[in-house]
Amino acid sequence: MDESRPIFIQIAEQVENDIIDGVLKEDEQIPSTNELAVFYRINPATALKGVNRLVDDGIVAKRRGIGMFVTLGARARLIDRRRADFATEYIRPLIVEAEKLGIDIDELAGLLRAERIES
Amino acid sequence: MTRTVVRGSGLTKRYGSFTAVDAVDLTLQENRIYGLLGRNGAGKTTIMQLLTGQLFPNAGELEVFGREPAEHADVLRRICFIGEAQRYPENFTPTHVFKAAPWFFEHWDAGLAERLVADFRLPVKRRIKKLSRGQLSAVGVIVGLASRAPITFFDEPYLGLDAVARHIFYDRLLEDYAEHPRTVVLSTHLIDEIANLLEHIILIDQGRILLDRDADEVRGSATTVAGARAAVESFVADRPVIGREGLGGLASVTIDGRLGRADRIRAAELGLELAPVSLQQLIVHMTGTELDADTTEEEAAA
Amino acid sequence: MTAVAAAPIARTEARSRVDEIWRIVRLHAINPSIFFGVPWLILGGAWAVSMVIAVIVGSANASPEDLEGMRYSWAVLSPQWYLVVVGVQAIGLTFSFALGFGATRRDFWLGTSLMFVLVSVEMAAAIATLVQVEIATNGWGIGVHMFDALWYGQNWLVDFYTTFALQLLVLFIGASITTVYMRWRMPGMMILLFGGIVLVLAAVAALTFTQSWPAVFDWFAAIGLVGVFTVLLVKAFVWAVAWYFVIRRATPR
Repeated sequence: MDESRPIFIQIAEQVENDIIDGVLKEDEQIPSTNELAVFYRINPATALKGVNRLVDDGIVAKRRGIGMFVTLGARARLIDRRRADFATEYIRPLIVEAEKLGIDIDELAGLLRAERIES
Repeated sequence: MTRTVVRGSGLTKRYGSFTAVDAVDLTLQENRIYGLLGRNGAGKTTIMQLLTGQLFPNAGELEVFGREPAEHADVLRRICFIGEAQRYPENFTPTHVFKAAPWFFEHWDAGLAERLVADFRLPVKRRIKKLSRGQLSAVGVIVGLASRAPITFFDEPYLGLDAVARHIFYDRLLEDYAEHPRTVVLSTHLIDEIANLLEHIILIDQGRILLDRDADEVRGSATTVAGARAAVESFVADRPVIGREGLGGLASVTIDGRLGRADRIRAAELGLELAPVSLQQLIVHMTGTELDADTTEEEAAA
Repeated sequence: MTAVAAAPIARTEARSRVDEIWRIVRLHAINPSIFFGVPWLILGGAWAVSMVIAVIVGSANASPEDLEGMRYSWAVLSPQWYLVVVGVQAIGLTFSFALGFGATRRDFWLGTSLMFVLVSVEMAAAIATLVQVEIATNGWGIGVHMFDALWYGQNWLVDFYTTFALQLLVLFIGASITTVYMRWRMPGMMILLFGGIVLVLAAVAALTFTQSWPAVFDWFAAIGLVGVFTVLLVKAFVWAVAWYFVIRRATPR
């Protein structure tokens, strides 16, 4: 767990990652809040908050008496959202650091390509 | 719906000229896990002794389940509190403790107690006087968990417990709490390991409450800003500062309050480094002596 | 959402009061050796020593009158002293534990008092019976007078009554003093000790100056053995009440 951010957001992100990676498929049941709490050693209320966040975002939905299930189209929506955040979360800090070091855009693009081939 | 199970206002406990608990206001809600945090001698145990009717306050009002706890059997039977320095009757063994427990706790789960004894490898036939510090803590933890009391106080529950035993405690606490929700108060000065278990945090220093907030609000509520002194100072100028360190032209200042995206970008542009402050670090800042205690309190309340 | 409960949430239906008091008795007795084992060990030990002394004295061709001297040994009271010192010490620890388990001070007081009565009945019945056995066996066959000593030996009922009264008194005094220490520590003990000394001295002085000693002795003679022990029983009750006032605000340590 990352200390700097609320845990419930991190729990929501963990589940989102599992959906994006395909570990949790659409229409599949996600772990219960108690299971999440015990697994991540966090307060069940925090886990519930995380799950509720997913419900609010329409990523999972409750089926009465059974549990929470991944909604149809959840994966596509998550990828869209992550893409939208990609620029501010990753590109912008990259450019700030690059400018500090005197790396211009072309050089940066070259570095990115080189890194990709390596990995 | 959440009910208030403990409500105290102006609670004060003095020992001669020493004020152990100083006009404390606090409320505890049903079915939450609270962390009562603070340095040794901050007043954590005294507060728990007041809430459990073991001590009588010098001033203030206190209601537990709607009435004063001291001498009210209907309140006390719903409370479990095994103090960190709990004393046991002459020649008692853990077996005696677990035998007597169901007479006092109506929800006592003997099966759970047995499983915990096995988990902690507690020698139940050994006299309590001869137990190690960790084994003594295990006795308290087992009583606290198996009692399933509507309010359970754990006073420094893991003194002397090794890493394995501590994790057994966290896991069993979470499992049992998930199945049988109740109000749990954990007091400790070792915070990092249990930070994630807590729903709400009450930070005590010198008998006063410095912080009384949901754990999620506290987490990430402080940030350390480091970099060139001038840049740091301009960035933190109008923010509440809770810690300040410096080395030559470099400064490292901890501020209270969440940083937004704009703040982060501005910090990056100023060449400042932002580091998250863990709960433990935050508490060190707040209860340390580098700042005047009064300003700390005002800023925490702000 | 937070609802402030207007009415007390605490259940008001009484869990059986008897249970709440009886569990304190059980708590004291959970480790039965303290109150029910060791006193017997001590009594047995004192009896064995008395027998050995009697055999030695007997083999030295002593007259039966020499063995009569044993009637003034205090061996018969040995378990009482033990119960006061060790038993009462245990009370302090059990108090702290019982409070942690959610007992009230009042129930602890009631339960422990009940415990004291039970212990006193047990010891009194045992000693009164042993006095009779000793008389019936003519001093265990060798003329030993361990139980048939001091004021003992009138009849079973008097022996029972006097032992009971004395045992109860010393237990309540011991418990009160332990609790005074728990509540006020050393200063409390000092005040109690010096207060007690001052009271005794004042009483002695008052009786001496008013030349009332003969009247006091006459009074004791008039009320007889049973009367004197009734005074002790009343004192035991007074100490029990005094103990309640000390314990109701006592805090565990």
